[in-house]
Amino acid sequence: MSGSTQLMLLATFLPLLGGLGLLFVPNEKREVFQKASVAIMVASFLLSVPLWFQYDRGSDAVQFAYQCAWMPSLGVKFSVGMDGISLLLWLLTTFIGPIGALCSWGNIDERWKEYYVWLLVLQTAMLAVFIAQDMFLFYIVWEVMLVPMYFLIGIWGGPQKLYAAIKLFLYTLAGSVLMLVAIFAIYFLQHKTSGVYDFSLAGFQAMAPVIAQQTKTFQILLALAFFLAFAIKVPMFPFHTWLPDAHVQAPTAGSVILAGILLKMGTYGFVRFLLPIVPEGTKELMPWFLALALIGVIYGALVAMIQKDMKKLVAYSSVSHLGLCMLGIFALNPWGMKGALFQMLNHGISTPGLFLAVGIVYERRHTRQIADYGGLSKTMPIYATIFMLMTMSSIGLPLLNGFIGEATILMGTFQTWPWVAVAATSGIILGAAYMLWMYQRVMFGPISEVNTKMEDLNLREITYFAPLLITAVWIGLYPKPFMDIMDKPVAKLIQQVRPDFYRAESLAMKQAEAAKVGMHAMEAPEGEGHQAKPEGHEAKPEGHGAETGAATPGGGH
Amino acid sequence: MEHVASHALEAVGAASTASGILWLIPFLPLFGFLINGLSGRRLKSNKVVDAIALGSVGISFLLAVYCFFQLVGLPENSRSLHQDLWTWFSLGGARVFGGLSTATVKWAYKFDVLSGAMTLLVTGAGFLIHLFSTGYMAEERNDGRYYRFMAYLNLFVFSMLNLVLGANILMMFLGWEGVGLCSYLLVGFYFDKEYAAVAAKKAFVTNRVGDFGFMIGFFLLIMLFGTLDYDTMMGMVRGVSGMQAITLFGHTATPTFWFNLIGCCLFVGAAGKSAQLPLYVWLPDAMAGPTPVSALIHAATMVTSGLYMITRLNFIYVQAPVALSLVLLVGSLTALFAATMGLAQYDIKKVLAYSTVSQLGFMFMGLGAGAFTAGMFHVFTHAAFKACLFLGSGSVIAACHHEQDMRNMGGLRKYMPWTFASMAIATVAIAGVPPFSGFFSKDEILWKVFEHGWKGEGSFYYFCWGMGMLAAFCTAFYMVRLMAMTFFGEYRGDGNDPFGLTVPSEAHHGADDHGHDDHLDHSDLAHADAHLDAHTDHGQLAPSHDDLTHGGHDAHGDHGHGPAEVPWNMWVPVFIFAALAAVFGFVNLPPSLGGGELFTKWLEPILYQVAPSGHHAAESIEYKLMGFAILWALSAMGLAWWMYGADESWSRAKAFVVRFPQVFEWVNAKYYVDEFYDAMVINPIKQLSAQLWSFDVWVLDGAVNGAARFTVILAEASNWFDAKVVDGLVNLVAWTLQQGAMGFKTLQSGKVQNYAFVMILGFLVFAFWKFLA
Repeated sequence: MSGSTQLMLLATFLPLLGGLGLLFVPNEKREVFQKASVAIMVASFLLSVPLWFQYDRGSDAVQFAYQCAWMPSLGVKFSVGMDGISLLLWLLTTFIGPIGALCSWGNIDERWKEYYVWLLVLQTAMLAVFIAQDMFLFYIVWEVMLVPMYFLIGIWGGPQKLYAAIKLFLYTLAGSVLMLVAIFAIYFLQHKTSGVYDFSLAGFQAMAPVIAQQTKTFQILLALAFFLAFAIKVPMFPFHTWLPDAHVQAPTAGSVILAGILLKMGTYGFVRFLLPIVPEGTKELMPWFLALALIGVIYGALVAMIQKDMKKLVAYSSVSHLGLCMLGIFALNPWGMKGALFQMLNHGISTPGLFLAVGIVYERRHTRQIADYGGLSKTMPIYATIFMLMTMSSIGLPLLNGFIGEATILMGTFQTWPWVAVAATSGIILGAAYMLWMYQRVMFGPISEVNTKMEDLNLREITYFAPLLITAVWIGLYPKPFMDIMDKPVAKLIQQVRPDFYRAESLAMKQAEAAKVGMHAMEAPEGEGHQAKPEGHEAKPEGHGAETGAATPGGGH
Repeated sequence: MEHVASHALEAVGAASTASGILWLIPFLPLFGFLINGLSGRRLKSNKVVDAIALGSVGISFLLAVYCFFQLVGLPENSRSLHQDLWTWFSLGGARVFGGLSTATVKWAYKFDVLSGAMTLLVTGAGFLIHLFSTGYMAEERNDGRYYRFMAYLNLFVFSMLNLVLGANILMMFLGWEGVGLCSYLLVGFYFDKEYAAVAAKKAFVTNRVGDFGFMIGFFLLIMLFGTLDYDTMMGMVRGVSGMQAITLFGHTATPTFWFNLIGCCLFVGAAGKSAQLPLYVWLPDAMAGPTPVSALIHAATMVTSGLYMITRLNFIYVQAPVALSLVLLVGSLTALFAATMGLAQYDIKKVLAYSTVSQLGFMFMGLGAGAFTAGMFHVFTHAAFKACLFLGSGSVIAACHHEQDMRNMGGLRKYMPWTFASMAIATVAIAGVPPFSGFFSKDEILWKVFEHGWKGEGSFYYFCWGMGMLAAFCTAFYMVRLMAMTFFGEYRGDGNDPFGLTVPSEAHHGADDHGHDDHLDHSDLAHADAHLDAHTDHGQLAPSHDDLTHGGHDAHGDHGHGPAEVPWNMWVPVFIFAALAAVFGFVNLPPSLGGGELFTKWLEPILYQVAPSGHHAAESIEYKLMGFAILWALSAMGLAWWMYGADESWSRAKAFVVRFPQVFEWVNAKYYVDEFYDAMVINPIKQLSAQLWSFDVWVLDGAVNGAARFTVILAEASNWFDAKVVDGLVNLVAWTLQQGAMGFKTLQSGKVQNYAFVMILGFLVFAFWKFLA
C-alpha cells in the first residue's frame, strides 16, 4: 500500500475512529465534543489535501488503488481508489466536514455527544462512497450513510423531524433496493458469461458491451433501476418531495451536508454507474430523462419563487440546480459532463453557504419566514455581504463559481440538445428572480424593531463562511486546476458512452491560423474574392447533400 | 471552412501586438474596489477612500491613453494590443461545425481601435464621475456608506473594462453580468427604501431576460466557429460565409440564415442591456440610484454595451440582413416611443432616463443601417452630453435639496451659472443644433438610414427615418422644456409660486417612482415646509464635513433658502462634459462638410468590409436633409420655448392637456407598459408558481404520502388478516386439538371401574357386530 493510499484511507476513516474515541468522553463535556469534532474533521481535511497534489492528471486510471479479499467466495473485495471525478467530490466532502461541525456549536443544545459522533460516522460513510471501487462495498456504505442522517434529522430536527427523517430514509431506501436488484442482475449475468463471481466496479463497467447485447427490455429495466435509485437521491423531479421536508426539519449542519454532499451521491451515481455500465439503455430512455431534468430546472425555480420559508426556497433551488446538473450529464459530451461536475462542486459550495446563512438568522430569531425579516443589511453588513456573494454564486454570476458550472453545462447541452438547452437557459432568468427577490425581502427595505437587535456575524461564523467564499472566488477566477483534474476521466467516460465522439477532424490548426489572421480578414477581398462573395451568399440547394451528416454534431438526435 | 481567408494570410506582420500592461487597466479599479470594500469601514478619513477610488481609475485612464498612443503608432490594420493572462475555461473537445474543437477560453484582454476608444470613454468618464461623486455624496460621507459607494463604482469600472477589453465573448459576458451586478448594487444603494430595492431587482431580472438571448447567441457562435475568441472568429468568418450551406443540428441552411439567427439572438441581449423595446422598462426605474450612477452607468457606459457588442461582432451582422433590419426597426421604434414618453414627465431624472432610452434607439438605428461608425460615434457624443445633463441634473437636485420635480424648480440659472451654462450646451448638442456634437452624430445616423431608402432598398428605411425624425423633434422639445422648467422663470421653491405650478414635493417621502432620497428622518414630513427642514438639516451637517475642499452644503448656510451653485468638484466635471459635447462632433466631420471622418477611419480596420456597392446618394440631397434637420430641431425647440419658456404660467401647455386629456394621461403614464407587463408576464408567472406549488404539495407529495398511507393501511389489513385469518387458522387447529384432547382426556381417568366399563362396552359392541355379520 503506497503512502498516498494510506493517506486516503486514513482521511476516510479518521472521522469514524475519532467518533468511536469520543464515545469514551463523559456526556456533559460539551466543549470537548465541539472542539474535538472540528479538530478531527480538519485533520481529515488536511490529510486529504496532499492527494490533490499527488494525483496524476495525465492518467485516466483509478489511482491510489488498494484492494484485499473480503468475501472471496462471493467475489467481494475491499477495493478502494479514486479517479479525478471521485477525488473532487471526496475532497469536497472533507472540505465541508469541518464547516458542518463548526456551524453546529450554536444550535445543538442537547444530546451533543451522540450528535457529534453521528456527524463523524456520517462523514466516513460519505467519504467511503466516493472511494469505493467494489459494487458490494459501495452498496453497503451507500446504505450505511442513511443511518446517521436519519438520526441527525430525527433527533435534532424541527417540529416534524420524525416525519422528515422517515421519509428521507424510506424514500431513498426504496430506490436503493432497486439498484441492488440491478447490481445482482449484472453480477449473475457476468457469471454466466465469464464464469467468475466478481463485484468489482471495473468488472461491472467492462460488462457494458455484454449488457448491450441483451434484450432491450432487460437494458431498459437495468437503466431504470439505477436511474430510480440515483434520481431519488439527486433528487430529480418528481422524486424530490423528500428534500424540502428533510432540509426544513434538519439542523443547519444536516442541511449543509445534505445539500453539499448527499445530493451529489445521486449525480455521482449517474456518472459512475449508470452511464458507463448501461450506456445503451440510458440512451433508449434519454428523452424521458431529459424531460425530467428539464422540468426539474424550471419547475424547481418556479416553485422556489413563491416559498415563504427560506430553507424551503433554497431546497427548491437545489432541485433546479441539480436538474441543470443532470442535463449536463445527459449531454454526453465533455463540456456538459465537466459542467455537471463543476455544478456539483459549486452547488456543494454555494448551497451550504445559503443554508448556513439561513441558519445564522434562525439561530438569532428562531424563524425562517422571509416575511419576518427585512432591512437586515443595515444592522448586519458583513452578513449582508456574505449572503450577497452566496446569492450571486448561486445565480451564476461570472467571477464566482456558479457561472463556470452553469455556462459550461448550457454550452455543452446546447451542442447535443439545442432546444433543451434553450429551455433550460430560461431557467436562469427565474433563478435570478427568486434569489434576488428573497434577498431583497430579507436584506433590503425598512427594518423592523425586532430585527435591529440582531447581531452581525461573530468570528466563528466568519470562520466557516471564509473557506466557502475563497473557494467560490477561486473557482470563478481560475477553474483550470479543477478542469484539469477531471479532464482525463471525463474523456474516458465520454469514450465509453459515445465511442465515435472523438473521431472527428480536429479544428485546432485552422483556429490557430485564423487567430493569427485576426482583423486582417476584415479587409475587403480583392480580385477573385469579389466575384466569389455574392455567390456564397446565395442558397444552393444542390450543395446541401455533401455537407449533411458529416457536419452534424452530436448525432444523438 | 476549407480556405481560411487565404488572401489575408499574405498580409505581413501580426494582426495584434502583445502588451504587458493591459491587465492593469481593468485590475487597478478592482484593487481599488478590494481595498475600499474590505477596509473602507476602518479607514479614518474619506480622503483616503477618495484617493484610492479616484487614483485607481485615474491611473487606468492614463494607461489607456498610453496604450491609445501606442495604437496610433501602429499600421492601421494592425492596431491591436493583446495580453493573455491565464486559461479560464479548458473544457476538452466539442463537436461543432466542421469537426472537433478543443479551443480553450482565455482570460485575455484586447485593446484595439474599438475597445481602445471605449476604454478611454469608460475610464475618462468614470474618473470625472468619481470626482463628481466626491461632492455629490456629501451626506453619505458622514454616515459610513461612502466607502461602499465608491467601492461599487470601482467594481463597476472593472466590470465595464472587462466587457470592452475582453478578448472573447465569455470575457465580454463576464463584464456584461458584472456591470449588471454593479447596477443592481448601485440602484439599490439606498436599500432601506423599498422602491430602490425593487428597481434594483427589476433591472437585474430584466437584464437576465436579455442575457438569455445573448447566451443562445453565443452558443450558436460556438457551434459555428468552435471558439469565442474575436481574433479567431474574425479570421474564420470569410471562410464560413463563403460556404454554400452549413448544417447544424441536422438543419441545413445558408450561412446567412445562421448569421441572421445569431444576430437576432444576440440583439435580444443588446436590447436588455441597452434598454430597447420591449426590455427598456428597467432603465427609468433605475433612476432610483444616486445621480452619478445614472450618469455613469445608465447613460454613458453600461447601457452602450449592447452597441459595443454589435459593433464588435459586426462581421456577423453585416452578413445578417434580417438581424440588421430588426436592429433598425427596434431602434427607431424605441427612439420614437421613449422620446414621446419624455415629453410629459416632470421628474427631471425621468426625462433624462427616457431621453437616454430614446438616444440609445438612435444608436441602434445607426447600427441597423449598417453604419456602425455612425452608431458608435453617437455613443461617444451621447456619453458627453448625457453625462453632462445627468450630472447637471444631479447638481440641480442637490441644490434644490433633493427635489426632483421640475415643477418645484425654476429660475436656477441665476443661482447656478456654471451648471446652467454646461447644461445649455448639452441641450443644444442633444437637440441637434450645429456645430455641437449631437448634430453630427445624429444627422449621420438619420442620413444613413435615409440613404438606404434613397438607394431604393425599400420604403421600410423611409419609415424608420420618419420615426427617427419625429423622435428628434420630441428630443429637442423635451430638452428645451426641461431647461425652461428648471432654469428659467422664477425659483418656485420656498413657497414662491405665483402661477400655482408647484406640486407637493415627493422628495422627502419615498414615493414609489422617485429616486434620490436619503433623508431618513424626513420620511413623514409634510410637503410644504419640507424644504426648510431639509435645509436646516444641511446646515447642521455642514460643519461636520471632514472634507473641507468643497463647500457644497456649507454654501447653503450663506445663501439662505435659495439654491446655490455646487462646489468645484461637481461643476468642473459637468463643464468638462459640456465642453466635450460642444466640440467632439468635429472628430467625425463628414466629407460633405469638408471633414476627414477621423472617427470612421479609426474604426474601419475592425469593420467587415464588403465590396463597395458603387453608387452613393448625391451630396445635394444630403445638404437638403441637413438643412431640414436643423430647421426641424429649431422649430421643436421654439415650440417648447413658446409653451414653457416664453410663458411662465405654462398656460399653453395646460391648455393642451385640457384639450387632449387622454393623450397626456397615456404619455404621462408611460403607456401603461409596466402595468401591462405586470398583468401579462409577472402575475401569470407568480400564479403558475403558486399552482405548481399546490401541485407539488397535493399531487407529488400527496403521492408519496399516499404511498406511505397505503402501506400503512395495507399493513393494518395484513395485521388484521394475520391476527384473524392466518393466526386464526393456527389457533383453530390448536383449538380443535385442544377440544379433541379435552374429550379424550376424560377417558384417561385412572379409575378401574371406568376401564372395566369401557372394556365391557367394547366387548358388547364387538359381539353385537359379529352377531349381526
